[in-house]
Amino acid sequence: MMLLRLISWPYIRKHLLRSILTTAGIVLGVALLVGMQTANQSVLQSFNQTVDRIAGKAQLQVTAGDAGFPEDVLQRVESAPEVRAAAPVIEASVDTGLPGQGKLLILAVDMTGDRSLRDYDFESGDDDVIDDPLVFLAQPDSLILTREFADRNGIRSGGKITFDTMEGPKQFTVRGILKAGGMAAAFGGNLGIMDIYAAEKVFGRGQRFDRIDVGLREDVPVERGQEALQKALGPGFTVEPPSGRARQFQSLLGIYRIAIGISSAFALFIGMFIIYNSFSIAVTQRRSEIGILRALGATRRQIGTLFLGESALAGLIGSACGVGVGLAFARSLTGFTGRMMESIFGVPQNANEVILEPRFLLFAMAMGVAVSMAAAFIPARNAARVEPVQALQKGRYQVLGAGESRVRRVVALGAAAGAVACLAFRSYLLAFYLGYLLAVLAFLLLTPFLALELARVLRVPLKRLKPVEGSLAVDSLIQAPRRTSATVAALMLSLALVIAQGGVSVASFRSIEEWVTTSLNPDLFVTASETIAARDFRFPASMRGELEQIPGVDEAEPVRTARVQFRGSPVMIIAIDVLRLARRVHRIVVAGDPDGMNRLASEEKGVILAETLANLDKLRVGDMVELPTPRGPLRLPVVGVVRDYSNQLGSVIVDRKTYIRYFQDDSADLFRIYLKRGVSAAEVKARIIDSLGKQRRIFVLLNREVRDWVMRLTDQWLGMTYIQVIVAVIVAVLGIINTLTVSIADRRRELGVLRAVGGLRAQIRGAVWMEAAAIGAIGLALGIASGAVMLYYELQVIRRDLTGMPLEYAFPAAMVALLVPVILAAAVGSAILPAETAVRSSLVEALEYE
Amino acid sequence: MNRLTGGPGPGARGRATALRFSTCPGPRPLAAVLLSAILGLTLAAPVLSQDARQIVEESQRRGKARSERYEGVLEVVAANNKVSRKSWNYIRIGSYGDSKAVIRFTAPAEVKGVALLVVNHPDRSSDQWMWTPAIGRDRRIALQDRSSRFFGTDFSFEDLEERDVNQYDYRLLGEEAIDGAPCWRIESRPRQGKVSQYTLSLVWIRKDNYVPAQYENYVKDQLARRLHESQIDNVQGIWTARLLEMTDLRRKSRTLLRIEKLEYNIPVKDDDFTVQALRREQ
Repeated sequence: MMLLRLISWPYIRKHLLRSILTTAGIVLGVALLVGMQTANQSVLQSFNQTVDRIAGKAQLQVTAGDAGFPEDVLQRVESAPEVRAAAPVIEASVDTGLPGQGKLLILAVDMTGDRSLRDYDFESGDDDVIDDPLVFLAQPDSLILTREFADRNGIRSGGKITFDTMEGPKQFTVRGILKAGGMAAAFGGNLGIMDIYAAEKVFGRGQRFDRIDVGLREDVPVERGQEALQKALGPGFTVEPPSGRARQFQSLLGIYRIAIGISSAFALFIGMFIIYNSFSIAVTQRRSEIGILRALGATRRQIGTLFLGESALAGLIGSACGVGVGLAFARSLTGFTGRMMESIFGVPQNANEVILEPRFLLFAMAMGVAVSMAAAFIPARNAARVEPVQALQKGRYQVLGAGESRVRRVVALGAAAGAVACLAFRSYLLAFYLGYLLAVLAFLLLTPFLALELARVLRVPLKRLKPVEGSLAVDSLIQAPRRTSATVAALMLSLALVIAQGGVSVASFRSIEEWVTTSLNPDLFVTASETIAARDFRFPASMRGELEQIPGVDEAEPVRTARVQFRGSPVMIIAIDVLRLARRVHRIVVAGDPDGMNRLASEEKGVILAETLANLDKLRVGDMVELPTPRGPLRLPVVGVVRDYSNQLGSVIVDRKTYIRYFQDDSADLFRIYLKRGVSAAEVKARIIDSLGKQRRIFVLLNREVRDWVMRLTDQWLGMTYIQVIVAVIVAVLGIINTLTVSIADRRRELGVLRAVGGLRAQIRGAVWMEAAAIGAIGLALGIASGAVMLYYELQVIRRDLTGMPLEYAFPAAMVALLVPVILAAAVGSAILPAETAVRSSLVEALEYE
Repeated sequence: MNRLTGGPGPGARGRATALRFSTCPGPRPLAAVLLSAILGLTLAAPVLSQDARQIVEESQRRGKARSERYEGVLEVVAANNKVSRKSWNYIRIGSYGDSKAVIRFTAPAEVKGVALLVVNHPDRSSDQWMWTPAIGRDRRIALQDRSSRFFGTDFSFEDLEERDVNQYDYRLLGEEAIDGAPCWRIESRPRQGKVSQYTLSLVWIRKDNYVPAQYENYVKDQLARRLHESQIDNVQGIWTARLLEMTDLRRKSRTLLRIEKLEYNIPVKDDDFTVQALRREQ
């Protein structure tokens, strides 16, 4: 502690800017980790809280994916001897159209029996003060709102609220107000309660429930009740505690969470390099100080501990700031993340509140400190190894020994050879990831050598450009390979990850665009919800006839999608008339006979899988697939594999007949409308709205609108790439400022002499700028090369372990073209301050240096 | 019992009536009570020697009728004196504990046409279905929480059930006059295995006609609900209370049920007591 105060503190004070920049690396990493994870956690927590509050006293919930099930299942649940109370539920969100109020989550229940599971805390203190319970049940326009929502919108008991239903826009009468707190706090207070039988009509559910909430008899433990009920209902149903819904939602977000994890780890990793760089520089700069300390009797251990202590302190301060910045970041990110989840998965979200998890914040702090200490470990060890005599010699400390360089090169080449060898066994998980690791290691170890060689290469053009400044800049880099290589390595890694991620984005975008072009080819889409992902409202099967009666419509194809659990993941069932679809859409067939698969699926002799699911679950044509349905397991062989990106976790395409038979559900989420030749889509859209819009809730979307929506969503999803680009630029700026600051401090005497013998300020300034540009250029060159390799690995990881998407290698040339000027500009920009310091420093002081 | 849901209820006579308010464990239907009044004078001496259980059984027996029909007017007076009124037509078939009844609301306009079918069973809770014309469909009423209020009245769903005498233990506590009429004061407690919100009930059965004049239902020894029956008339030989007043002492509200145009043993068909019939008779 005393060493910290006496030795470290004066150094930190003297190099305050650099200390701040060093800490900024950790701030950035921790902020990104905290911001993205907290936003993600807030969305999850908000969902969990809604689930918890709505579940009330329910110990179990019976579901059949999100397809729902016929009403008669309720009696089967009620008749189980373990069951005390069973309450059917329909849950959906509606847009009230009230400005700034977002969506209202409708919980539709049977009020005659629901109170045995849920506490309805009504305003008057009465136990069932819906103004009149009989009127509430008798009138399908009855609605209960929360006090919070009612107050926000100036609605009183007896007031009206309008929203779209499957029977057109409908006015609802508020016949009860829930007290604030408890269940009323679910979905941020935007909760409405209505009668379940009225809701069946409002949401076009037919005579089906979404789920059944179950309370068990007092003497029945939850596990036993779950087991007994599962046995009684069969494998087509999922019986689990309410927390299971949260788990399902969590698994939907799995890929997003991995992406967040990668971004956070990326930021921390880069932060680690900045710390490493700073401490390496600090150790070299303070060698004489270390030498004196060692000569005065300080042990190696004390020296090592001193530097580790400094890094721990930097980590602690950086982490604390990072947590603060991260929470501010999370505040603006939470709502965005929630909306994106809703758009992609169709699960209503109302996450506006940032939920703090103290344990996670502590973890982030610890992570920041640990990363900082880990990054400083090698410099601290080097400091501890300093021999007092050698330390007092000048000029040799930045030079890499020939032996050291050779060893590095040999190990690097070994790692590269290992990586290539692993490619031959890439089908094995371990070999593949080992190869990836070895490839990264090879690049890192080769960085000093390559940086040096590239600097030498740069000498020629730079000298030609500006003979004096160019030589000075390149010489500075060559003379201090440690300083240069650490910065270049950080920049290279950062850019490599950006390029790899950018390549993934480009490939994903192209692949999705191709799928959108080939598969989403109807002229119009008629949906019951605002987006094609939401499934709150459903159309009756009879609407197909109504649509086909409209002049200009050639064919209306009903589509029903529902998520079910398949091998522990929520996959999407797409129910459609397979043969009719095949006539209209020429899907990209990955496996199976194109004609045969459609015929077999149509004859209910098989299912067609999306390539993503086939890849993730290693399924092939002929393999058996078993899907849970309310009528028992649906077992059919895979008859074909096609490219389909309807669902991130994969889809199973079944014929509509099969779906109706097994799920006893003939409703549709959307209709694909094909028009007669020469008919204007806009005109038919207007006719459909004219003809059906008054009777029921419909949204008619032009093909272009749907394609744009899908691509916009893809863009949003890939938006994390942009965060990484920003991080890369910040890293470039931080690293280069740091390096140049040190470089100038190291060369104060040299620069002073230059000025004393007639060097112009402009020349000095130019030399510093060129040095920065050279670092940027070297970092760019190595980053592009390593990024091209990492892209290959990332595409493989995505195909085999993340989404199953078979993305084609596409080098993100446009992104690189953008990165080159951005990084070079950032490099030169970061040189401005150090350059000015160099030219404005006192000549006398500079010559007195050392 | 229960003139609302078709069981024998307070004021309703006839042990077979579905929807009578059997607020007391084991009370007999009003019809039985009224019938007992006919025989009351002549059988006074033997009755005095009866034990509590026999009195309750006799009360139920005297209220027995093959069928029943009446028009009911219900008035709920909330603690803040806000009054809401509803009226319905009531029809019942069958004998006590094994009856079926249909209630069809006639006013106010918001509930007009809403119908309720109640099928009572001797050994378990009744099954109930509701028809809501505005939604155009029937629903099975989930009677899981039998202590909850019957559609905003002061009666609970449990109060509407026809009760099996064998599921309660009775004790004669003495005699006490209600509205000037001498009554037996009987305590009943649910036997083990019988699930009830009430831990104890007291019933006052008139000695002259075996009509229950008052019930008091206790939850954990605290008086929760009191049912008072009055305007006792002889209708077609069955003594029946025409005015029932249920007071919820915790909520400080009360519900009045007036029974009008009461008829017993009318010709009715079993087919009229089905879910299909609920939809038919709109």
